[in-house]
Amino acid sequence: MIQLHNVSMAYQQDASALDNINLKIGKGEFVFLTGPSGAGKTTLLRLLYGALSPSRGQVLIDGQNVSRLPASQIPYLRRSVGVVFQDFKLLQNRTVFENVAITLEVLGWGRADIGKKVMHILKQMGIESKFNLITQRLSGGEQQRVALARALVNDPKILLADEPTGNLDDANKNQILSIFREANVRGTTVVVATHDRRLIEQSHKRIVMLNKGEIVEQMEKEKNRDDQAI
Amino acid sequence: MNRWKKKKTETIKPFKRPTLAGDGFGGRIGYFVTRAITNIRQNVFVNVVTIGTITLALLIVSLFLLVFVNLESAAENWSERVQVTVYFDKELTSPEQNALRGKILALPGARSVAYVSRDEALKRFKSRLRGQETVLEGVRPEVLPTSFEISLKRANRDTLGVESFVSALKRIPGIMEVQYGEEWVRRFNSFLNFARLLGGLLGGFLVVAVIFIVSNTIKLTIYARRDELEVMSLVGATSFFIKAPFLLEGLMQGMAGSIISIALLFGLYEGFLHNAGSFLTFNPVTSGLGFLPLEYIGGIFLAGALLGFIGSLTSLKRFINV
Repeated sequence: MIQLHNVSMAYQQDASALDNINLKIGKGEFVFLTGPSGAGKTTLLRLLYGALSPSRGQVLIDGQNVSRLPASQIPYLRRSVGVVFQDFKLLQNRTVFENVAITLEVLGWGRADIGKKVMHILKQMGIESKFNLITQRLSGGEQQRVALARALVNDPKILLADEPTGNLDDANKNQILSIFREANVRGTTVVVATHDRRLIEQSHKRIVMLNKGEIVEQMEKEKNRDDQAI
Repeated sequence: MNRWKKKKTETIKPFKRPTLAGDGFGGRIGYFVTRAITNIRQNVFVNVVTIGTITLALLIVSLFLLVFVNLESAAENWSERVQVTVYFDKELTSPEQNALRGKILALPGARSVAYVSRDEALKRFKSRLRGQETVLEGVRPEVLPTSFEISLKRANRDTLGVESFVSALKRIPGIMEVQYGEEWVRRFNSFLNFARLLGGLLGGFLVVAVIFIVSNTIKLTIYARRDELEVMSLVGATSFFIKAPFLLEGLMQGMAGSIISIALLFGLYEGFLHNAGSFLTFNPVTSGLGFLPLEYIGGIFLAGALLGFIGSLTSLKRFINV
């Protein structure tokens, strides 16, 4: 589903954010990207949804070479990739419903279908009763669930999350994690960048550890589980 | 916003297949228009500021235009005085008159020709010297010359036009003495050219300033909503899809601004007409001061719409690649 071949990324000529990254993430996998701040987690995610183009190497999403994709094709890539951020990036002056509906409006859906689908996903997220509230009145956990609903409402092939639980307490973290898991079970490939060790340890998933723009360690699901067993 | 309330109580069935609101551009116009109107309703203050700026900007320009147009029409009236007169020392017979008139009217630039007989000339003299008719005592019509008074077409009233007309006129056999106020024509025309140059220059500066102010205002309002552009682009909206509602919004703001400014200008104009009589030496109502002609009003409307549209377009370019 996601393949990176010898990918390097430099914002400035001398300092590289990513250095010769090779990574394969299969369809339906759940992967944690971890590492200290400035390790290149966010840069890696940005490459995956076409916000950046790599300085060197190739990024393949579902067989498509993102690095060669013309700017006019990027939107179509993003329709199959849901993205979630630490700061949610919700439209503060709009309702929960409107925030989630944007994803489907962009796809050209009719109003009636949007209504059904949005209420359905809000119900899954457990916030259907807040659908008509302005998002700035919601708690952090609720806002993140709205952001997740927006990312998942069109059943994307890939879900990317950048520090999705950074601003949340433990109860909310667990809820968000279980939503990731559910999406993963339904077939979405999930990539979560986080430095929250607890989150990673709880979930027993594949871990890719970055440091200074390089992959320093990879732990597969099974090994991770063994560690837990010991 | 409560249109979804009903849906809440409905049992939500598993999602099937979406029906598209419409393919391509045509099917989405409805969406873009509702989006633009919703945006205006949700950002009332910003829109009031933008429309206000466009209104004031256009009002300044159209006020300038109004003054300019009235000065032009005054100049047009004054230039009626550019007249070429051909004198004869004898009374012309009717066939002679007709033959000469035909030849003169055949010249390029001639608009009309009027024959002034000796009696007519004396009558004019008398009316000009009303109250001092004694001066004319003993003056017989025979001492006065007869003449053709030729008025020129608009294009021929400048210095060069008059001179070329006169030299062509002199080539007609039978025409000896030609007079036109050379000095007056020259002065009048150089004044007119100067006034036009000045007006054009001032108008040009004004238009450039207005474009700057309006485009910067629009840029700020779009900057305030850059998160919206970012979110749209994150969920996979094409740049056209993101831009269209903003462009429509700009178009609507521009049209609203131009309509308000034309209405304000008309109000100012009417107010001036009815109140200026007290401090002006002439009566403005009968002086022939006119409002802007219809094509200028149409032009202002179009300019407003374009201003809003292009202002939004250029501002969006900066933020669209978020």
